[in-house]
Amino acid sequence: MKPNLRQIGPYLIELYWHEEPTDSLLQHILSWELAIASQFGAEVLEIRKGFQTLTCMLRSDLNSDSQRRWEVLLQCNIKVLSLSEKIWKIPVCYDQKVGKDLNALSKSKSISIEEIINLHTVPTYRIHFFGFLPGFMYLNGLDPALHFPRKNIPDRKIDSGSVAIGGPQTGIYPNESPGGWHVIGKTPTILFDQNENLPVFAKPGEQIKFLSISLEEFHHISDDSKPSKSDD
Amino acid sequence: MILKTNPGTSVQDHGRIGLGHWGIPIAGVMDQRSYAWINHLLKNKRNDAILEILQPGFKCRFDSYITIGLSGAKAEIWKNDKLTSSTLIKIIPGDELEIGKFLFGNIVYMGIAQGFQTAVILSSRSNYPKITTTGMLSSGDKIPFFTNQSHTEETFASVRLKTAWLEEITLEVYPGSDFEALSANNKTQVVNSKFTISTLANRMAFQLEELLPNSIPERLTAPVFPGTVQLTSGGKLLILMRDAQVTGGYPRVLQLTDNSLSVLAQKRPGQQIRFQLKSIKIG
Repeated sequence: MKPNLRQIGPYLIELYWHEEPTDSLLQHILSWELAIASQFGAEVLEIRKGFQTLTCMLRSDLNSDSQRRWEVLLQCNIKVLSLSEKIWKIPVCYDQKVGKDLNALSKSKSISIEEIINLHTVPTYRIHFFGFLPGFMYLNGLDPALHFPRKNIPDRKIDSGSVAIGGPQTGIYPNESPGGWHVIGKTPTILFDQNENLPVFAKPGEQIKFLSISLEEFHHISDDSKPSKSDD
Repeated sequence: MILKTNPGTSVQDHGRIGLGHWGIPIAGVMDQRSYAWINHLLKNKRNDAILEILQPGFKCRFDSYITIGLSGAKAEIWKNDKLTSSTLIKIIPGDELEIGKFLFGNIVYMGIAQGFQTAVILSSRSNYPKITTTGMLSSGDKIPFFTNQSHTEETFASVRLKTAWLEEITLEVYPGSDFEALSANNKTQVVNSKFTISTLANRMAFQLEELLPNSIPERLTAPVFPGTVQLTSGGKLLILMRDAQVTGGYPRVLQLTDNSLSVLAQKRPGQQIRFQLKSIKIG
């Protein structure tokens, strides 16, 4: 699973893989991220990740010397680290009052609401990276039975905390936003707090599990609730 | 204090660099070139915050002595209802400044001695929805700055702003991550055609009117940056600007140079641009 290297402009350098996004590919991506950070440190301003890509924004334009050092690093056999065992438990209320597309999804897919909740709460989902909105986690692990195409016309407003399905993915809207995913529930957990030094609680490589709660419990959980975490 | 403004006025600085891994966009000034220029003239730090004004009809009143500077689009500037052509303006308490008609260009920048002093959130003052209190400024907003007790006696050398670059229509681009997936025909079209800026042009992206029919499949979500040109399956070209999301699923066909991103920021809907492919030279 060796990465390929390409340069996009003088200060963007990208590692990419052709393998499908799996835990194993994620392990490689996260290990390469660490190797780059330790090898290049302050020369890299920002590292962004995708399902098959790791893109580095450099502090200054690449020169022949630094280019050689990147090529050398890419030839190395880096130590591939194992993924974290940490699982964050996110309470989700799957009530039609907050999961406004739940009923329509149930009808379109001919799956009962109980079964949707079951299929959605059984797996643990792997966090691959953050993107789309500040604090939005790209998760892998949605049951194929729940895959459902995005809406043709996105909704103008999806509430903060909405738990939704879009194509082969599921995710939580950390803030109110327009969006084309089907909302099946809502969490009272705060996913992004811009006033914290660490505005998100979870890291790529860690896992998420959704716990079904009632509408009553949803209203009881205070707004500042932090997610609970299983022991490592 | 802002007396009146149309949508699209914001405080901006260098933006939030280094936070993309949490999904936080860079944001920051759209036309970095005019930004650098005005902070240089004001002897400010390079990262000092300025006001970015996207539409005519902006009016503000100052309550203290201060020096301000204007750059970017060429516009009619009215100080206490008198037309002024100065780049640097000495303000005394009670002065009112109005930005009228834009003569050419798309964004006016108002810099101020030592920069505007709104709250720094996640390393930047740049307005961004859900990160700063407001995504945009509105009438009645008061924007803090450090006041001078009075002006020093120094007189400003008359500075003539070079604006020829604002009229440039060629945008220099590097091949993007998915450039090689374009057909030979698409590659020729992209460099040989002129494209028109559509009315869907904002701080997140500038969409182009002409379509580039293509058969590249959508990609798995991957990182994007300001200046990334995406191509949708419907053939729309989207040039990502400073407020763009950090990741996207459309093929990434081109990447603008920083200078071209500033040039583009000053273009208005209806204006035309063309792409000039540049190869990466390693110094």
